[in-house]
Amino acid sequence: MFQLQAAGRAVRAMAEWAKQLAGIKGVVLDISGVLYDGGGEGGGVPIPGSIEAVEKIKVSGLKLRFCTNETQATRGKFVAKLQRLGFNILVNEVTAPAPAACRILKERNLRPHLLIHDDLVPEFDQLDKANPNCVVIGDAADNFSYKNLNEAFRFLIGLENPILISLGRGRYYKETDGLKLDVGVYMKALEYACDVQAEVVGKPAKMFFQSALAEMEVEPQQAIMIGDDIVNDVGGAQQCGMRALQVRTGKYRPCDEQHPEVKADGYVNNLAEAVDIIVKQLHK
Amino acid sequence: MAARRVLKAVLVDLSGTLHIEDSAVPGSQEALKRLRSAPVAIRFVTNTTKESKRDLLERLKTLEFDIAEDEIFTSLTAARNLLEQKQVRPLLLVDNNALQDFRGIPTNDPNAVVVGLAPEHFNYQMMNKAFRLILDGAPLIAIHKARYYKRKDGLALGPGPFVTGLEYATDTKATVVGKPETTFFLEALSGTGCKPEETVMIGDDCRDDVGGAQNAGMLGILVKTGKYRAADEDKINPAPYLICESFPQAVDHILQHLL
Repeated sequence: MFQLQAAGRAVRAMAEWAKQLAGIKGVVLDISGVLYDGGGEGGGVPIPGSIEAVEKIKVSGLKLRFCTNETQATRGKFVAKLQRLGFNILVNEVTAPAPAACRILKERNLRPHLLIHDDLVPEFDQLDKANPNCVVIGDAADNFSYKNLNEAFRFLIGLENPILISLGRGRYYKETDGLKLDVGVYMKALEYACDVQAEVVGKPAKMFFQSALAEMEVEPQQAIMIGDDIVNDVGGAQQCGMRALQVRTGKYRPCDEQHPEVKADGYVNNLAEAVDIIVKQLHK
Repeated sequence: MAARRVLKAVLVDLSGTLHIEDSAVPGSQEALKRLRSAPVAIRFVTNTTKESKRDLLERLKTLEFDIAEDEIFTSLTAARNLLEQKQVRPLLLVDNNALQDFRGIPTNDPNAVVVGLAPEHFNYQMMNKAFRLILDGAPLIAIHKARYYKRKDGLALGPGPFVTGLEYATDTKATVVGKPETTFFLEALSGTGCKPEETVMIGDDCRDDVGGAQNAGMLGILVKTGKYRAADEDKINPAPYLICESFPQAVDHILQHLL
């Protein structure tokens, strides 16, 4: 009797969840931890079912955009990598922090000292970097050496108006060989050292999600975000008025489902499961 | 009028109070001798993370101070005591020089992380190692959280920013063992049989030495040597019990008024 009741509750829970999907016109996808896990020889490993899931969205009639905080390579380079891994993805479908940051730096006449991954440097080629008046920090991985951090710190503390721009504020991400520290950790380190507050370009900043929605020509209420980071993907999207699902792949940890501040609209095992449910709901 | 306290112990800061780099503060050696004639326990306390007790002792002996090794209490000692108390095996992100103060503590298969001033360990790989341990439940112990310090070639990041980063990454709070933490001052007294209310601290850092000691229930005497800058005394509340020109004057006051 107890088992029947539990099963009934599960079915009703699924139904509740799917009901939330009425009016969805566009899907926004995080990349790392949702499509694939980065790192290793080939540059990464697709998460089972994700390649097919992306195809499914594209033939469903729903609009699709990728919204990533990826800053270890230029947009062109990491899209090419994902294509090699089998994903149907184009550069103009991707909203990423470095291009957004360049626009902001140009607008405000800022000349950056860059603490970023070597492969991201070309994104900033068009900018004047002489005599820096701000520091831009990205997911620099091994470039987060004491020497480089010290250099960035000295620039920042020497500025009359210290401006620190952080491409995202994530705590960690998953690669094939385990969890690794993300840019947010080093952003906090420099904030503490210089007693300043960074400006975040990338998730979870509202402006970043809004620019993705604008590219899709979809209102927040008509969009659903799927991500592995409960705070920066799910929380950030919800703060913009979007719905958001948490996947149990990538950097996900079980405690994410008891997050004190963020309650996802649904928790799914992976992107494939999310897309199945979304597309089924469309056809009702 | 406040009840007269009984003075049983004196804590003395080292760098900036007894000596400045490799020179003694004038008159300090004799002042220390005079202090020893009184019935008080004496401890020398410092937030060093790079120098072992042995190194400190060497320097003080060269400057002709009469000090025994077991009278020195450092933030490294405080960290060691905490590790022994918790019975954990640390990943030690500390200067190589400081390792000898942790001799005897097992470090295989670490289940704790200790962060001191160790630029050579603050690389991405080591930080990831520390991060994963803490995420798995290892306690994070910070020798102190200085933001930066002065080096010959300019300012340099202290351990504080890296500790802050790890706290953010793991959503935990470090246990800070150095000044101005109350636990540091209480630990410094262990073995003396004295209470904070029976203790005076003498130091040049208003916030970390005097403020910290007074928060722990001690009296604080601020000396105007070392890193002291005018109006430092306005930065803490309550104000220092006393402000003196230097260590010898502080000792005079103790001998004349507090015993």
